[in-house]
Amino acid sequence: MKVSLKWLSDHVDFSDYSMEQLDELLTFAGIEVEEITNLPDKVVVAEILSAEKIPQTDKLAVCQVNDGSGKNRQIVCGAQNYKVGDKVPLALPGCKLDDGKGGHFEIKNGKLKGFDSLGMMCGASEIGLEDESDGLLILPKELEPGTAITEVYPAVLVLEITPNRPDCLSHLGTARELAALVGKKLKGVRDHANSETPTRKAKKDEITIESESCPYYTGRWIRGIEVKESPSWLKEKLVSIGLRPINNVVDITNYVLMEMGQPLHAFDLAKLDGGITVRQATAGEEFKALDGETYQLSADDMVIADSKKAVAVGGVMGGEDSGVTETTTDILLESAYFVPADVRRTSRTSGIRSDSSYRFERGVDPQQVKGASDLAVKLILELAGGKAGEELVECGKLPALPKPIKMKGEFCRKVIGTDIPDEKVEEILTSLGIHPSKKGWEVPSYRGGDLLRPVDLVEEVARVYGLDNVPSKNIARFVESSKADHSYDFNRKIQTTLSAIGFFETRNLKLMSGENLDDDRATNHRGMEPIRLKHPLNDEQDYLRPGLVPGLLASAGRNLRFGNPNLRLFEIGKVFTKTKKGDSVENEHLAVLMTGARNQPSWADAKPANLDIHDLRTALTAIMGAKGSQLTFVPLEDDRLLGACSVELGRGKKSAKLGIAGYLPPSRGRDLDIETPIAVAELNLKKLAAALSEPVVFEELPKFPGSSRDIAMVVPNDLPNESIASFFANYQEPLLIEANLFDVFRDETGEKLDADKKSVAWSLLYRCPTRTLESAEVEQAHDKLLKTLQKDLPVEFR
Amino acid sequence: MSGHRIFCFSGGCTGYNPGPYRVQSGIVQGTISLPHRIPNFPVTRQNADLSELTNFFQTTDLMIKDLEQIQQDALAAIATIDNETSLEEQRVGFLGKKGRLTAASAGMRNVPKEEKPAVGQKLNEVRTAITAALEAKNAEMIAARDAKQFDSIDVTLPGRPIPQGGLHPLTQVQHEAITILRRIGFSLADGPEIETPWHCFDALNTPEEHPARNESDTFYFEDGKLLRTHTSSVQIQTMLKNPPPIRIIAPGSAFRRDEIDATHLPVFTQLEGLYVDTDVTLADLKGTLEHFFHEMFGPTTDVRFRPHFFPFTEPSFEVDLKLQVKGKSDKWIEIAGCGIVDPNVFLEVDGKRKKPAYNPEEISGFAFGMGIERLAMIKYQIFDIRHLIDNDVRFLSQFA
Repeated sequence: MKVSLKWLSDHVDFSDYSMEQLDELLTFAGIEVEEITNLPDKVVVAEILSAEKIPQTDKLAVCQVNDGSGKNRQIVCGAQNYKVGDKVPLALPGCKLDDGKGGHFEIKNGKLKGFDSLGMMCGASEIGLEDESDGLLILPKELEPGTAITEVYPAVLVLEITPNRPDCLSHLGTARELAALVGKKLKGVRDHANSETPTRKAKKDEITIESESCPYYTGRWIRGIEVKESPSWLKEKLVSIGLRPINNVVDITNYVLMEMGQPLHAFDLAKLDGGITVRQATAGEEFKALDGETYQLSADDMVIADSKKAVAVGGVMGGEDSGVTETTTDILLESAYFVPADVRRTSRTSGIRSDSSYRFERGVDPQQVKGASDLAVKLILELAGGKAGEELVECGKLPALPKPIKMKGEFCRKVIGTDIPDEKVEEILTSLGIHPSKKGWEVPSYRGGDLLRPVDLVEEVARVYGLDNVPSKNIARFVESSKADHSYDFNRKIQTTLSAIGFFETRNLKLMSGENLDDDRATNHRGMEPIRLKHPLNDEQDYLRPGLVPGLLASAGRNLRFGNPNLRLFEIGKVFTKTKKGDSVENEHLAVLMTGARNQPSWADAKPANLDIHDLRTALTAIMGAKGSQLTFVPLEDDRLLGACSVELGRGKKSAKLGIAGYLPPSRGRDLDIETPIAVAELNLKKLAAALSEPVVFEELPKFPGSSRDIAMVVPNDLPNESIASFFANYQEPLLIEANLFDVFRDETGEKLDADKKSVAWSLLYRCPTRTLESAEVEQAHDKLLKTLQKDLPVEFR
Repeated sequence: MSGHRIFCFSGGCTGYNPGPYRVQSGIVQGTISLPHRIPNFPVTRQNADLSELTNFFQTTDLMIKDLEQIQQDALAAIATIDNETSLEEQRVGFLGKKGRLTAASAGMRNVPKEEKPAVGQKLNEVRTAITAALEAKNAEMIAARDAKQFDSIDVTLPGRPIPQGGLHPLTQVQHEAITILRRIGFSLADGPEIETPWHCFDALNTPEEHPARNESDTFYFEDGKLLRTHTSSVQIQTMLKNPPPIRIIAPGSAFRRDEIDATHLPVFTQLEGLYVDTDVTLADLKGTLEHFFHEMFGPTTDVRFRPHFFPFTEPSFEVDLKLQVKGKSDKWIEIAGCGIVDPNVFLEVDGKRKKPAYNPEEISGFAFGMGIERLAMIKYQIFDIRHLIDNDVRFLSQFA
């Protein structure tokens, strides 16, 4: 909300406060000062006395102006929208103006086309009144030349009023709050809220209320008015807070809105058919609002209607056809109280927002409905003439006054945690208009929506007392670790391991494009489906990610564009799917992606080999720590990946299936300009944590030497290593300790070895934990193993 | 023992250069030094007649002279060695089976029995000296060879690259925040990111028509659920599952319907905190957050609490930090929201619990929340939030 400092001074004198002090005062009252607009110094009102075009120029003219100094001043000006006699802002030499780029430029005496120019006449944007403007700002005629522009348009504060403080959504309300905080008295205008106008109940053909959204409605009939331009004091006030003057009647309703926070509406009586009915709209009822738009209303919306049609959406916006125009002579002035939640709903569902709905939905003070009407009527009679009805015509009932709140100083001290004496509590609350009585603390009606419970009063005490005056307490407590702690620590270990072996952690958006769902290739959702947002922002982010690979791939693509082709990336985070029935499931995954060269080319290795799935396996092995040797890649029928494998810990039926690894289709890589193979793996972290959860138990180190035997064999090319590895892993021989593959040889030319064969070499270690093995024992065991191996697998020993 | 040398050589009987053995040899001393008993001189000889003594002297002298010459020659020869072959040649030449020292040692046969220990000792000394010289030479040559190997290394070459990795700056800042809060007794909590409006709004005392609930601000699903707009829903999840005392922090994603720009992401990260017990006050909240920000941004960081409004806390505050950047004027910037848990939140939670445990008359609590992206952007002076989702490794490597 924009608050003019000059307007504020109608209510309370803050001339002894600097802008910084006011800023701080508001800030610590809980009212955030978003911006302070100050017009520049050394800009004065000037009257243009003469203007003579400079020959051979398009626009330039030499002007003599009266700057109030008593001497004429010569200015060369290029604007076109002025005439002699106009008053305009004049920036004098030494004045610093915004250059629109965050900096300043200084006005200096200069020469243009040979003519002295001793200043600059300005447009509204040049002095910071508006963001954009054309030509000079023509000021009200009444202004005296030489008047500082900062007097005409003093500083304006842009305040962020929190939803609990609708009472501050007006100049009077802000003044009241500030006055309370510094112990100043409001000037007499406080009586606005009191009405001395007699009231009478509305007749049925005048006003009827059929909607529960409107507890109280008043109307005042004024006839014989003259709608015209507002006087300059009124226009100035509205302009200073960014409102556009329209005509005297509309300006007055806007003025009262900004002065008291009470929205009003004036109907042109000539355009109303019969009396006013406050009712629910019919579903689909059309309404043409004064913003020119036509809205479709629902039965939840409340309208102000005449006998034929809706003439306003209650508390939100008037209709285009029933508004006050130059031809209006008779009006009905509405001042009412609407239920905040209902106005909020209507504003939300219809999409109509206005200064009026903004206030009604936060809650206006019901007790000022009559007073605001009075103020407007008084001004209308003053500025537009006419004759007002003797009585204010009312319908419905004002909501009850706020209930007194019982709250003891002890409660304040308990919540705040410091010894605020009772006297201080009372002093603070009283300053805010909250007075003690036998029934408790009496809350003023303008705070009725916010102050309902003891703790609400504590908040008032706390904010005025200030947290600066509350001691800081530093007492910790013992807490047990939670499941979340354990999984955080587990994930942390993986993150540090991967980053230590050369992986960068990425964090991709959890929202992704439905078009890229196909990139989710390393997950197994078993009938689960991806989740689409109901109202996505755009089609780049219309799905929750069902897997991490799409995000990693997108990051890889970006990196390639940034010139980083060699990538080891990983991400840990949640993925989202839903069952056919629609129940959502959130799982935590880990995914890794590797592409490009194994290293940066260097003097040590000018052409490093490309990363491949074996490097990927190394990374996954590292994550498993001491259990790394149990990691297996089991070939999988899955055409989403090339070389798809199930990543498992352990072998056979007892193995834990952790996720999927493989290569992304090269064609997809090429879409992103990635020419190197892209190996990926995605694991379920819960399964991984479970598989690695066994506590570590130290195993005694071997005391006796082992004996190793090598096996060289020729096997078919398509026999996966895993078949041989699992043979050794499952082979029942207590003396066999480990088996390691140490050579694989292939010859595609077929010269040294048939092209469909490969030669592999394994080293086997035999050892007995209790004694040194005899050579013969080892031979015996090894021979037996070789025989079994030959029986089980298509191998030929070399 | 130096006093005995006078006797030893004043007789003029040796003719040997009174070299190094003057001090070494007790034998020579002993032979003349009648006034003194020399421990290693045979006792039987102490009173021997003079002719015998002279004879003894001649044989011993010649032998010793010969040994000394061998040693002298050997050391000289060894000094000139410059390769392993000649080192071996010299070893064999002096110490080998047919070497000079070996040959000389054969002369031991002629040394009178009584003198054998003395000459034998000399022989050992010479052998030791030659062996030591050979070993020293050998070590010298190995050292020279080793040094030569390293001579050719250009130590100024860049290091052999290994791939660099690192944690995302958000993860690092988040971990730092978690570490600080764990140290003062908070444990972690989490909750689903797809939430019901009840957990995200109703239970947090957010009115039915609150703007945050608008479909223009919040992502909904067809079934009425939504993506949580803040991690405060974890407060509710935690209190539903556990009775007080509660002392948790919950880092996690929050979602708002914002288009991506330099300061907004539709998905961002928050850190929520909740402390519920019988006696929690604003003073505890202030102490906790001050400590947190002092740990996070340095002990001299200015922190202020500004009254504010949140539906789920009462009283509520926003926390500002004074941002000090070189070359710019100090500026207060908003960093967190916090407050005393609103009694309505406890009532809502208790209404859903099988066993009520959150009677606002008996318990109280504080809650706080802050954006991790904001912490990171302040800490590292990152001015465009999009860097945090681009995952450009040139960016990431700056935080490795």
